[in-house]
Amino acid sequence: MTQMSCGYAGDRGETLIAYLYDDIDAAARAAFDAHLAACEVCRAELEALGGVRSTLARWNPPEPGRVLAFESQAGARGGRSRWSALREIPAWAQVAAALLVFGVSAGIANLDVRYDSNGLAIRTGWSKLATAPTVATPAVATQIGNASQSGGPQALAPASKADLAALERQFRAGFRPQSTMAVPVSPVARPAAGETEILRKVRALIDEAERRQQRELALRLAQAITDMNAQRQADLRRVDLTLNRVENNLGVEVLKNRQSMQQYLMRVNQRQ
Amino acid sequence: MTWTDEELVARSISGDADSFNELILRWERPIFALAYRTIGREEDARDVCQETFLRAFRALPGFRGQAKFSSWLYRIALNLCRDWVRRERRAPVVQAPEDVDLMDLAAAAEPSESIEDLVARKDLARVVEKAMALLPEEQRTAIVLKEYHGLTFQEIADLIGCPLSTVKTRLYQGLTVLRRELAKNTSVPKGSART
Repeated sequence: MTQMSCGYAGDRGETLIAYLYDDIDAAARAAFDAHLAACEVCRAELEALGGVRSTLARWNPPEPGRVLAFESQAGARGGRSRWSALREIPAWAQVAAALLVFGVSAGIANLDVRYDSNGLAIRTGWSKLATAPTVATPAVATQIGNASQSGGPQALAPASKADLAALERQFRAGFRPQSTMAVPVSPVARPAAGETEILRKVRALIDEAERRQQRELALRLAQAITDMNAQRQADLRRVDLTLNRVENNLGVEVLKNRQSMQQYLMRVNQRQ
Repeated sequence: MTWTDEELVARSISGDADSFNELILRWERPIFALAYRTIGREEDARDVCQETFLRAFRALPGFRGQAKFSSWLYRIALNLCRDWVRRERRAPVVQAPEDVDLMDLAAAAEPSESIEDLVARKDLARVVEKAMALLPEEQRTAIVLKEYHGLTFQEIADLIGCPLSTVKTRLYQGLTVLRRELAKNTSVPKGSART
């Protein structure tokens, strides 16, 4: 036993640890230096414990990612933040939810998005209703009636277009503030800074989740391959042993048969 | 401008969420590492890490600066780890999703780390985790705080609430057990002691 062969006066373990971590005062260090010079047991143990520390130093935890982020006082006090809650939702579900919300919103609003030389124009369905030909004033209805009596659908077209254009202008003038959502935006317009930040964060979250999943899967795969190889080698060894055993058994059986045959032949020869 | 922890704490108490975010950014990695090495499970360590910051945030108004913010945070995390160890929670392993080509995913692993490196690192981690799991909680905590967080013996004693000599004894006993266990499973380098 190491303790029995070391004559250090004092608590050897404590001093050894203090020396190992260099968390020791100068006088104690000098005294232990002197002891080390003469004690091979302590030198060996110090070296071994240093080796343990080297191994421990190679044990690194995985990347934590971003574990939490507080957005506001109220949100944070209420529990987990929005971002931390978002982390727990799979990336595919986040994308599906975003598409669903966008699709439903667009459907409800009967959204019409147009991008041309005038820039980006977003128009809701209500402004289309204002221009729809089903909405007819009595004057237009009268003209439609007259046209149908005089010349049929072909004669109706020029008069209807002009009237509908006038009607559209009238509706636009009357309802533009309420119903028209045309928002001219410069072609070089960018999303607001806040939205960009949110998009960036969501993208980072998704990337991080994907990276983590890939790492985990790669690891599982490597472990599976290692396990499979080990299993294969074990199986091969087992097959080898079994074959050897079968061969031995066969050899013994053949030997026995040969001996029996020789005895039988000898007996036959003796009778003859 | 770089604020000290204490300044960020003061600003957080006065309602500045960004300051607390800064504290999280500063300390999430050490706290996660502490939890991971104490618990040995990544997902649970992440939970402990999150819970540590949530508890810290809620208790922030009561923080009077008697100790360093980091020591206070470590204490919260260690208490949570202790709770976890008592509960002995076990999470399910990661399941590979269906219709996914594992070979492709394996090939797309971290470009800086080959599969062999990854396996070697994980093997070492498994060996160390296995050896660490044999230690009593007090010895494991002392080793983690000293080895990976560089706390002095006195800081560990203050944090855990035990005499200085007890910390050294726990470390000595813990390292001795690790030496024996690691020798069974790895070739511990014979390099000179790190001082």
